[in-house]
Amino acid sequence: MLLALLALHVAVALAAPTVAGRAGRWVFAFCGLAPAAVVVWASGRAGGILAGRAVEETLRWVPALDLAVTLRVDGFSLLMIALVSGVGVLIFAYSWSYFEPRPDLGRFAAALTGFAGAMLGVVVADNLFVLYVFWELTSITSYLLIGFEDDKEEARGAALQALLVTVAGGLAMLAGFVLIGSAAGTYSLSQVLAEPPTGTAVGIGLLLVLLGAFTKSAQVPFHSWLPGAMVAPTPVSAYLHSATMVKAGVYLVARLAPAFGAVVFWRPLVVGVGVATMLVGGWRALRQFDLKLLLAFGTVSQLGFMMALLGAGTPEATFAGVVLLLAHGAFKCALFLVVGIVDHEAGTRDLRRLSGLRHALPITFAVAVVAGASMAGLPPLLGFVAKELAYDGLLADAHQLGLAPLAGAVAGSVLTFGYTARFLWGGFASPVDVRAGAPPHAHRPSAAFLAPAVTLAAVTVVLGALPGLADGLSAAAATALQEHHEPPHLALWHGVTPALWLSVLTVVAGVALFATRGRVEALQERVGGLPGAQEAYDRAVDGLQRLSEGLTGVVQNGSLPVYLAVILLTAAVLPGGAVLLGGSLASPPPLAESWAQVVVTVGILVASVATVMMRRRFAAVLMLGSVGYGVALLFVLQGAPDLALTQFLIETLSVILFVLVLRHLPDRFSHHRWRLGQALRWVVAVGVGVFMFGFALMAGTARTRQPISRYFLENSLPEAGGHNVVNVILVDFRGLDTLGEITVLVVAALGVASLVRASRRGEPAGP
Amino acid sequence: MSVLVPLPVAVSLLGAAVSLALHGRVRLQRALGLAVCIVATGTAVALLTIVQREGVVATQAGGWPAPFGITLVVDGFAAIMVTISTLMLLGCLVYAFGQLDAERERLYFHPVYLVLQAGVCLSFLTGDLFNLFVAFEVMLIASYVLLVLGGSQEQVGSGMTYVVINLLASTLFVSGVGLVYAATGSVNMADLVGRLAELPPNLRGGLGLLFLVVFGVKAALFPLFFWLPDSYPAAPTAVAAVFAGLLTKVGVYAVMRTQTLLFPGDGGPSTLILGVAGATMFVGVLGAIAQSDIKRILSFHIISQIGYMIMGLGLYTLAGLAAGIFYIVHHIVVKTALFLVAGLVERAEGTDALGRLGGFARRAPLVGALFMLPALSLAGLPPLSGFVAKLALVREGLALDRVVIVGVGLLVSLFTLFSMTKVWQRVFWGMGPSPEAVPPGARHGQATAPIAGGSRVRPPATMLGATAALVALSLVIAATAGPLYTITERAAADMLDTTDYLRAVLGG
Repeated sequence: MLLALLALHVAVALAAPTVAGRAGRWVFAFCGLAPAAVVVWASGRAGGILAGRAVEETLRWVPALDLAVTLRVDGFSLLMIALVSGVGVLIFAYSWSYFEPRPDLGRFAAALTGFAGAMLGVVVADNLFVLYVFWELTSITSYLLIGFEDDKEEARGAALQALLVTVAGGLAMLAGFVLIGSAAGTYSLSQVLAEPPTGTAVGIGLLLVLLGAFTKSAQVPFHSWLPGAMVAPTPVSAYLHSATMVKAGVYLVARLAPAFGAVVFWRPLVVGVGVATMLVGGWRALRQFDLKLLLAFGTVSQLGFMMALLGAGTPEATFAGVVLLLAHGAFKCALFLVVGIVDHEAGTRDLRRLSGLRHALPITFAVAVVAGASMAGLPPLLGFVAKELAYDGLLADAHQLGLAPLAGAVAGSVLTFGYTARFLWGGFASPVDVRAGAPPHAHRPSAAFLAPAVTLAAVTVVLGALPGLADGLSAAAATALQEHHEPPHLALWHGVTPALWLSVLTVVAGVALFATRGRVEALQERVGGLPGAQEAYDRAVDGLQRLSEGLTGVVQNGSLPVYLAVILLTAAVLPGGAVLLGGSLASPPPLAESWAQVVVTVGILVASVATVMMRRRFAAVLMLGSVGYGVALLFVLQGAPDLALTQFLIETLSVILFVLVLRHLPDRFSHHRWRLGQALRWVVAVGVGVFMFGFALMAGTARTRQPISRYFLENSLPEAGGHNVVNVILVDFRGLDTLGEITVLVVAALGVASLVRASRRGEPAGP
Repeated sequence: MSVLVPLPVAVSLLGAAVSLALHGRVRLQRALGLAVCIVATGTAVALLTIVQREGVVATQAGGWPAPFGITLVVDGFAAIMVTISTLMLLGCLVYAFGQLDAERERLYFHPVYLVLQAGVCLSFLTGDLFNLFVAFEVMLIASYVLLVLGGSQEQVGSGMTYVVINLLASTLFVSGVGLVYAATGSVNMADLVGRLAELPPNLRGGLGLLFLVVFGVKAALFPLFFWLPDSYPAAPTAVAAVFAGLLTKVGVYAVMRTQTLLFPGDGGPSTLILGVAGATMFVGVLGAIAQSDIKRILSFHIISQIGYMIMGLGLYTLAGLAAGIFYIVHHIVVKTALFLVAGLVERAEGTDALGRLGGFARRAPLVGALFMLPALSLAGLPPLSGFVAKLALVREGLALDRVVIVGVGLLVSLFTLFSMTKVWQRVFWGMGPSPEAVPPGARHGQATAPIAGGSRVRPPATMLGATAALVALSLVIAATAGPLYTITERAAADMLDTTDYLRAVLGG
């Protein structure tokens, strides 16, 4: 059924352009059917899955490569499905209101549906390679969605950056999977986790996999693609770039952490990167003016938080991370939807221009407050529950992790409080900054436009107030990750615990941060952002382009003599080196059998050298002809008159043809600038000559067996009925060769004819 | 069943002769060409099935016993290559119906195209080193004539580089055959297996390297590839697509055939060949990144991709060779398809220069999809055929601890993606070309009205159909990769263990 549901996504995506052509915006209703079907299916199977019975399905693909579409849904996957398909349905509903009717909605809906399917695949794949397949499919669909407004340069650039960064990580991850899988002897994720392999190769594999996870989940220093991706339409930002795709890396780390948390570098690296990301993201969010960018940096920060919690691999932190995944999916998505509504109704997202929207958009404002409060970690909302658990977990695991992660988490949460306040104040309450111009007029959004955001806000409230409702799901998810651990029950009130005091501290510090925002902004101006991430990407791309152009300019310089020289040198050096260095001549054969041969050979050599020395074309042709006649003479001396005769004919014909052509060419060779020095030409020529000579000498003396020519001599007359062995070879023994050569001649004639015809048509046909 | 072995060659040559006699009657020539290509493809599929069932099949030309006559032999590798090649030739022929202008088509396109098919098939089927030389000559002259067909100045100029360098390679080739005969007294490949093994190692090694260089020129390996990007883009698209898909792969085939059958070395991974593979991948892809015309970009990618195939050879294990063969099959289809798409763009817009294009996907969404799929496959992204091929290589490379080449392969894969997105972003995305950017005489543009920004582009059915069929074929390859991979594995097994091949050719 899961396979069928994935196929349904594909089918719906393929049909989307056609449907959009007829139904316009209703295509989103059509496409929403796919995630809706998943939600229905998952609800039906939830009972069993929550009770610990995972659902599995397999489709064979390439058995020889251990490539099989193995799908497995356990508690954690179920929670992810709730995010992927549950939020997915809301996003499709929202898109219906968000977009004006336009002709290319079909391809948008298709890509969005494709993404929903791919993301579903990521969270249910059990085969590592298939996980990679879906992983990259989310990158590709994300590329298409970020670049939806493809006539904007900015959109194309951001789409490309997101694609390259995540695919680069993905490729590393693929290599990591191979290393881990081959060490484990299985490419099934659940089996690898059940019996984690060890060793250096596995360690390297894990590092590579983490590279994939960090790039996908926008961790420092790979985070800069995510804010860029905000050029995408808001449904995309809400869905891919906050609720689902960017959590893929967190998802994978969460899966691996319990099994590999004990690997020496794992915790320092993953928790360290997570906390750093949380701080950098929060800090950067504090100075954004675009509401969407503010949220994007907030997402980076929260992803860092989740990475740290789920990467720690300890039971308490894992449980907190699972709840945070759920909470973040709800509040951040709701906030993005709010920004989309604001953008739509007020025409801007710049918080310097927005003002007083709390009056114009009261429901939107309410949703923003609820979701924002959850993000800031205020009770009685799900975000608060998650944060309390996180503090608790990091405290409980401090013996393993140290106190630094806890300190980082508190600091990050203070920043979170600060940018949440900035978001709500700037977006809905602040008096307008006169310098930025008059506040725009806002329309009231329709009920349908509001509904998805309201739903998400309601989830935040209900699950916050009555966390028991999410108990089953989060417990099952945590159990799926940490098999032997009994997770605590979710509760709003934990009593007066250290975590509560930390929460109080967070709020107080957060309020102080907001109160002193003017000074903070000034400080930010002076400190600047984290240097390097975006610049590093730009420089890498730029450098690659320049390296390519430089190298190609040298390698592919368009000079035929250079090409020929390289090929000849390779031919002389590689095989020549192997032959001449490795062997010796046991008994050198006689170099000549008669003085006549010596004389003719010297003549050939002189004529060869003369050919290339001649300045006049005509003389060069005559010299070349002399070389051929010399060779023919050698044939005569060897007692092969047929061959000699053929050679004489060919040479004569060639000389005549050359002379005919020469009528149309200048008398002398044009004086080219010698690109390749004269000396180098000598080296190449002599080198190739020596190589061929030595090679022929060696080869000629190496023969141990009877040559097949004996057979021809013996069978020419009795079997083929011919006295002339050469003729019989040509027309009978090896007639196929002759057929081929005749074909060559015919085609050459056709080529000449076609060129002549073309030139008669008046087009210049070249030489 | 050995009667089928020479059929792809024979039917093509015969067809070429008849087609020549039909000069001037283009419709009949088309029908004949189509029929010949279909018969050749059918025969090839039959051969592939027979080989799967019965193992290697050989036939002796003229009935002269091996090693004295010329042997034609089909094993798994050869059967795969003939099948995929004839399929491509069929597809490109259909495409050519829509693409070639009448004048060029009348200028002996059809007979020469069939001769090219004969040459390609003979290269795969022959079991004789000298006959392989002849097959290469047939292929070379046919390709040269197709390249300069119509005779524009640019075509003849770039044809010059092509023919001079290939003639040099031929000279080296025939010298190599001469040296082999001098050393062993035979040119039948199966017969040579035993004879070469008796030679002193330096001589055998030298001969092996000489043939590596010779076929390396044909296959466009580093550092012998220069001729390729300078000549392919000038040809008419249907022809360039055949060249891009097939001709270099004939070279790769010859490299793999000779290096496994005749010069197997010591049987382990070869650092030299892996080094060549890595350099070919890397330099090729950088070349592609430096270009700004679609066909030139694609031409450099041919080189880069050849590196992956050669990597399979360099690993020299069952899985490595199987991966290499699978890569060849995948690549032939995908690369041919990409060239055909480039032709669709060029036909509609009158240029393939990135700087003068844009917004094509809006006006021809189907063409956009037809580009996107093979482009991603070329970069090895899942779940397309290129992914399966690359995964196979990566797995085997890591299993053999050949970390460097795997790293290069993955990096080049990323660069390939970068280069492909460049084409996508500048041709298919973005604003349409401004009217003055399109040359007034866009060659075939009359019927398709390319200039107005919003109008839909409708390529001729034959061109679009052929392109779509090839893209669909690449998807089928991905979907049926399981059974296909089994076939390539069996072919690779026959390359490593030549017993079956020798028995089929020499008897006993």
